[in-house]
Amino acid sequence: MQDMAATPDRRAGAPLRELRRELRRDPEHGMVAGVCAGLGRHLDIDPLLLRIAFAATTLASGVGLVAYLLAWMLLPAGESTSATRAGAFGDAVGRTGRAAVEVAFGVGFLLLSVLLALRELLPFSDALTWPLVLVAAGGALIWRQSVGGGPAATEAAAGALPSVARDPAQPSAARDSRPAVISRIGIGVTLVVAAAIVFLQFTGALAAATDVALAALVVAIALVVIFAPWFVRLLTSLSVERAERIRSQERAEVAAHLHDSVLQTLALVQKRAGDPREVAALARRQERELRSWLGGSQARADGKHRFAAALQAAADEIEQAHGVAVDVVAVGDAPLDRDGAALVAAAREAMLNAAKFAGDEAPVAVYAEAGPERLQVFVRDRGPGFDSAAVPADRRGVRESIVGRMERHGGRAAIHASPGGGTEVELVIERGAT
Amino acid sequence: MNQPSRPDGASLTAGIVLVLFGAVLLLDRTGTLDLTFREMAPIAFGAVGAILVASGLSRGRRER
Repeated sequence: MQDMAATPDRRAGAPLRELRRELRRDPEHGMVAGVCAGLGRHLDIDPLLLRIAFAATTLASGVGLVAYLLAWMLLPAGESTSATRAGAFGDAVGRTGRAAVEVAFGVGFLLLSVLLALRELLPFSDALTWPLVLVAAGGALIWRQSVGGGPAATEAAAGALPSVARDPAQPSAARDSRPAVISRIGIGVTLVVAAAIVFLQFTGALAAATDVALAALVVAIALVVIFAPWFVRLLTSLSVERAERIRSQERAEVAAHLHDSVLQTLALVQKRAGDPREVAALARRQERELRSWLGGSQARADGKHRFAAALQAAADEIEQAHGVAVDVVAVGDAPLDRDGAALVAAAREAMLNAAKFAGDEAPVAVYAEAGPERLQVFVRDRGPGFDSAAVPADRRGVRESIVGRMERHGGRAAIHASPGGGTEVELVIERGAT
Repeated sequence: MNQPSRPDGASLTAGIVLVLFGAVLLLDRTGTLDLTFREMAPIAFGAVGAILVASGLSRGRRER
């Protein structure tokens, strides 16, 4: 027991210790990037002292600035603030993208380092250095994004292309948003294009390249003008074909459903034509199923948590079990909370009594009204009725399952019945009364 | 019971690079090397690049 009692404390303390143990930046409490704040929390000292130390070493030799920048680059931001800081680096980078961008910049820096070192031995101009650096960075970014970033990045990159299908079952956390992927690829392409422009500029070939680009543009415009009608027609026909395919699929689905449900029910109705009660039950069951199907899967999923749907489900259950028609009219709706569920359970009991004792001459009528202040249900039958005062004390169906249940949930139940005059059970519950 | 934790590649690379960079700075300070900005720049860029590549590759593996 002692161990169990200690567990929550240990769990509560774990995140704090973890936070203190892990060396992370704390941008939320920092002045620039949260390096000093994160270090201070990690070392359990005042960040102000660290800030003074960084400032002093920066002023003395510049080492503090270099150390700060390196710490900024290397230390991850704290969990609580990563979301807010993600905005600083932009949605264009994203989680997976940060790795790709780091590799791209790293490759660029490494190549720049090699080229600068080589230039000491073999002098060559900036016309080669900077374009190569830009091409390396852009190429690394595109490469990491498209093939080197693992399944998540590859899937995300595939998602950036409209023709590649994405798996909807894939967890959303495992992939970056499409704009982020497109932005990263765009940054990579921009770097490569910038490299080409810089190289052409340095070599003096930019003017000629501009002429070539202009000529290509003119040719492209001419081709667009020539082929635009065919292209538009192709797009239109594709759209029409797609719509036709969707319609055809829907028709096939409706036909399959009709075959599986309505036609089967009609066959059953023919077989049991001599039993009107069974036929009526079959027809009502089919009606419910069709209505549910027409409502769509979302409506069916939502219905599990709504008052009106729960009442209708209880009525369906009674109807199927006892072969008595139960007509439900519901005005308004509300989420199915505990009080609502108790009211449905009491109404179900009232419907059950009506189905058992009222006979099947007339349907059991259920009228429900759900408003913001109260839930109200009336269950009426045209059976022989009864004298509620004469019900023996050991019959707990009405007293406990209906009246007692309603009282426990802050509601009330009234039974209006007289021998020969049918029965009406009135159930009222005030919202939030308990 | 505890598995020996593997060193983080990015941190290891960053540490080694920083130690080497510090050693170069120390040699420059003591006069063993005489480095100007032209010679120091490639070293600094190389150090930053190596750290970034190691960090990016490590992060990419973690997030996969």
